[in-house]
Formats: sequence, C-alpha cells, structure tokens
Amino acid sequence: MTRFEIWDLKLSSWGYLVFLLWALLLVGLLPDQRVALLLGSVLLFALFTGSDGLRPLRRPHFWTLVLSALALGPLVLGEKDLAWGWLRLSQNGFWIGLWMALRALCLTLAFSVALSALSVSEMVRLFETVGLKGLGFALGVALNLLPTLQENAMAAYHTLRLRGGFRRRPWQALKLFLITVIANALRHSDDVVNAAAARAFEPTVRRGEPVRFQRADGLLAVVLLGLGFGFTLWPF
Amino acid sequence: MKTFTTRDWVYIAVFGALWGAIEMTLGAYLHVIFPPLADTFLLGVIMAGLGGIIALTGRHFVPHTGSVLMIGVVTALLKALSLGGVQIGPMVAIVVESLLMEAGLLLARQPTRWGFALAGALAVSWNFFHKFAMMRLLFGQGFYEVAVNMVKDGSKLLGLDVRYSIAILVVLFVIRLVVGAVAGWLAWDLGGAVRRRLAREG
Repeated sequence: MTRFEIWDLKLSSWGYLVFLLWALLLVGLLPDQRVALLLGSVLLFALFTGSDGLRPLRRPHFWTLVLSALALGPLVLGEKDLAWGWLRLSQNGFWIGLWMALRALCLTLAFSVALSALSVSEMVRLFETVGLKGLGFALGVALNLLPTLQENAMAAYHTLRLRGGFRRRPWQALKLFLITVIANALRHSDDVVNAAAARAFEPTVRRGEPVRFQRADGLLAVVLLGLGFGFTLWPF
Repeated sequence: MKTFTTRDWVYIAVFGALWGAIEMTLGAYLHVIFPPLADTFLLGVIMAGLGGIIALTGRHFVPHTGSVLMIGVVTALLKALSLGGVQIGPMVAIVVESLLMEAGLLLARQPTRWGFALAGALAVSWNFFHKFAMMRLLFGQGFYEVAVNMVKDGSKLLGLDVRYSIAILVVLFVIRLVVGAVAGWLAWDLGGAVRRRLAREG
C-alpha cells in the first residue's frame, strides 16, 4: 500500500498506474494551450500524494533541458518576425518552445510521481498480480547484479588494458572484454539459480498477496476520467 | 512466457542488467557529450546497436519467444530506477527495440545468423521513427517539422544539399539498418564465443 491516505482511502499501486496512463494519454491528445491544465493537475496530484515525484524539479540538468527548449524555440523554430539587437527571433517559435517545455515537464513529472510511489517490492507484487511473477524476480536479480557486473567489468577492463590489449588490437580486445564480462556474469548466475532453488522459488507459483484495486483507485479513476473529458472537450 | 524456468529468468536478469549497465554508464556519458535534443542520430544508433548485441546474445542462452522482450523490459525498468531518474525517450526506445527484435526473430522462425541480423536491423531502424514519435508525444511537433530538421541535420552530416531530401532520409534510414544488421551478426558470433568459453571452462 502506498502513502496517500484521505478519509481512510488508500491508493494502491494501481492508482498510480492509472494516473500515469491518464497523463500519457492526455499529453498526446490535448491541444497545446490546454497542456498547462494537465501540468497543474499533475503538480496537484504530486503535492496531495506527498510523493518524491517532484524531485526532478530540484535537478539542474532537468531545468537545463526544459529551459533549452524554451530558449531555443524563438531562435531556431518558426519564421523570424522580431529583431532584438542583432538577434532575429520568432514569436511562433517562442510558443512552440513553450508548449514543448510544458509537455516535457508533464511527462517527466507524471513518470516520476508514479515510479517514486512504486518501490521495487511494490513493482514485484504488481507483476505477480498480473501473472508475471518471473519478471518481478528478474528485476530484483538484475538490480542486485549491477554492482557485481560493474566490478567484473572493471577487473576485465584493467586486465586487458595492462596487457596493452586495447592499444595493439582494439577490436580483438573489445571482443575478449565482452566475452569475459558475459561469461563471468553467466557463471555468477548459476549461484543465483542455486540460491533460488534452495529457497524453493518457482516462477509459476504466486506467494505474496496480490495488489488489489482499492476504492480510492476507483475514485481516482473516475475523477481523472472526468478531468480528461473536461480538458479535451470543454469549449474554453 | 510461462515456459520460462528459474534459470531462464536469471539469464534474462543478467542480460537486462548488462544492457541496463551500458545504458546507465555509456548512455549517460554520451548524453552529456551529445545533448539529446542536438544529436539523436549518433547517440541512438550507438546505444541501439549495443543494446541489440547484448539482447540478441541473451537469446542464445534463453532460446524462447519473448526472452528478448523481457530483457528489454528489465533494462527499461532499471533505467527508470537509476540515479539519473526517469528518462522517457530511452525507456520507450529500449522497449520498442526489444519488441522489434522479437518480431524479427519470429519472422526468421529458426535461430540463424541472418535471423539475428534481421532482428538487429529492425531494432536499430526504430531510431529513425523514434524522433517522430517522441517529438509528437513530448513536444507536440508534427511529421513535417521533424522531417525538415532531420533533413537539415542529415545534409550537414552527409555533406549533401538539402534539395536531395528524400535521398538524405533514405540514406539515414539505410545506415541504421546496416548498423543494426551488423549488431545482430556480431551478437551471433558473441553468443557462440561465450558458449564455447563456458564449455571450455566447464
């Protein structure tokens, strides 16, 4: 169960998935001028649910991307119809850049809000609920494998580099590097298979409680549906 | 997918983690060198080619329908959970590329070198359409604007006049197909080489 609670209603992972799909659909459907409404709704949802989904807003890299769309719009898009000193700018380009930036903001925040509410264990449970137990297991294994893979890759790289492999025969060295990294990873995976067998793991058998669609999820779905119709069809 | 054993899922995890590691390290590094808005061609072709090599090598070890798609899904989820945060473009690209690889392998029916080359070519060819799809989804831009920008970038890259717009677009598409086919071809060799190494070492 995730954190959002109001009047004893709790959103489950389904609620966050419904929200993400709703946002994705509307980003594709809404005309430019109405994207601001969607952005407002996404921000409100993030604030109400108190998730970490607004974290991208604190990243300079994120703002560089968004602001570059805004800044480059008048310079590179549309017909130049304004002169500002030696700069030739386009009003139309400015608006295109603005809508670009708003759509990018909407999508990134919607993804961030939904994924920050879904921990790895929640995701695994969700996969189990929809009959993909093995996929949840694979995701957990992959996450745990990353540091081992990194270590193995660094060791293989330094071994080849110290023998001058990358300088003398770079292609051969690259091939050897890939073979070594993949072979080591597969050898390590035998231990994982044995550990899973020792714990009587069976990809076709469900163990935990399935994630159930809650009343709050239904309520959210109805509200989002209404908002979606309003945003797309209301004659503003 | 119900036919996957525990070992199959672990192998899927291994190849998903390998592709994910490449995306999170090399992908992030290349994104810094070539900002995504500036150069999706080079970056996309390199990352899709490498992803194709890894995922198709994985198919050697999990020779069941759906394994490449699952490797792609694991990679996309790892990318979403990475420190860099959610990046929609690469996530969509990874899933669609793995879907296209599955389609290529299904078309080829038997696991052959040419089947792998077809799967790789289809996967990397997505890079051509990715820009149209993402610009529409993210920025609301239409086909025409994206095509014009692609022709302008392509004319600079290939040294051709913008008047040959169709030729430029065709050449850009064919480059992707060739890179993908080479990736599939190499994956066939790589899978065999890894298998031989494992067999030799017992």
